Amino acid sequence: MTRRKFIHKLIKAGSHSYCVLGIAYCVYGIASLFSRNTHHARRTTKFVRALRLKKYPGSLRPLRDIHKQSKWSG
Amino acid sequence: MCLIEPGQSGECRVRINIDGVLRTVVYGFPCSLNIDPIEKKPLFHFLPGTGVLSIATVGCNLHCLNCQNWEISQANPEDSQAVFCPPERLVSLCRESRCLSLAYTYTDPIIYYEYTYDTAKLARQANIRNVLVTAGYINKEPWEKLLKYVDAANIDLKGITDDFYVRICSATLKPVQDALLVAKASGILVEVTNLIIPTLNDKPEQIRELSRWVKANLGGETPLHFSGFTPKYKMQHLPPTPLKTLEIAREIAISEGLDYVYIGNVRSKEGENTYCPGCKSLLIERKGYFILQNRLKDGHCPDCGREIYGVWK
Repeated sequence: MTRRKFIHKLIKAGSHSYCVLGIAYCVYGIASLFSRNTHHARRTTKFVRALRLKKYPGSLRPLRDIHKQSKWSG
Repeated sequence: MCLIEPGQSGECRVRINIDGVLRTVVYGFPCSLNIDPIEKKPLFHFLPGTGVLSIATVGCNLHCLNCQNWEISQANPEDSQAVFCPPERLVSLCRESRCLSLAYTYTDPIIYYEYTYDTAKLARQANIRNVLVTAGYINKEPWEKLLKYVDAANIDLKGITDDFYVRICSATLKPVQDALLVAKASGILVEVTNLIIPTLNDKPEQIRELSRWVKANLGGETPLHFSGFTPKYKMQHLPPTPLKTLEIAREIAISEGLDYVYIGNVRSKEGENTYCPGCKSLLIERKGYFILQNRLKDGHCPDCGREIYGVWK
């Protein structure tokens, strides 16, 4: 039986057992999708050096007196 | 770890995906550039009494509710002001102002990684030391690559539970502990900072567990700074850390075998000074960020001769 026919039968029959099987199928599908994504993330983890953008997206100002202690922590 | 869709930025706001290519928008554009005392980082065991050229760009990969620098760490680059200062210019500024070191700080050098890396490499060639002030939330490979050009680091250990990191910082604990271990193993000077926030991480048992972790994993010679919290950003409803809490934390850490424990952001006579862990004599007396006297002799206690952990020249 194809997946399409199975789901069609599920809707038509409204049978309890088909519902249980349908739910189990959905859970299996979601679980395998998650494990594929997780595996995909693990598989593709590698260090990528970012390229620089030449233009700053905000505004630029001239360099002020650097001998003044910063107000920021650290 | 962020997965960045095309046209989107990462959690840090400053790394974006343009047509499948990762780009940094802050390379060469610091929002802050100042000469600070090295003690402000805080680093108490690295070239004491010297000035350090300190930079930061906007952005951060953490979103700590108590962030003391939130106006720049949580800023969008398109809404912020910066100066144009490529790595070569930073190094020449450092030389012109006779600073012995360059610090990548205020927000987090991890998010302006490429700028930090390239500048640090040039600075090393010019005999300028490199200092990182970071939350340490970074993967192993880029961390190890960067550490090759680093001389000292102050790394935050914000809490000792995953729950704290998840709830307060939108992060997790293990990558930070791993980064601390890698930093220490690399041979650079490491100092640790813990910001004590009333009601969140100020319980004596939490302080004890954190101190034990530092002692067991980084060594008792690793300086530990307990900093006082000031109500800021999304934690303005909490009170500042009482001096008493910081003093108790210091006593606990010393009782757990840590040799050098300091109190920061709050004036504390004993908590600001360096004492010999052997004979307890005063080695370095400080008032705020200023050195009042430094009695060390070639990095050793002048009274008992014990070697004192640090980079002293």
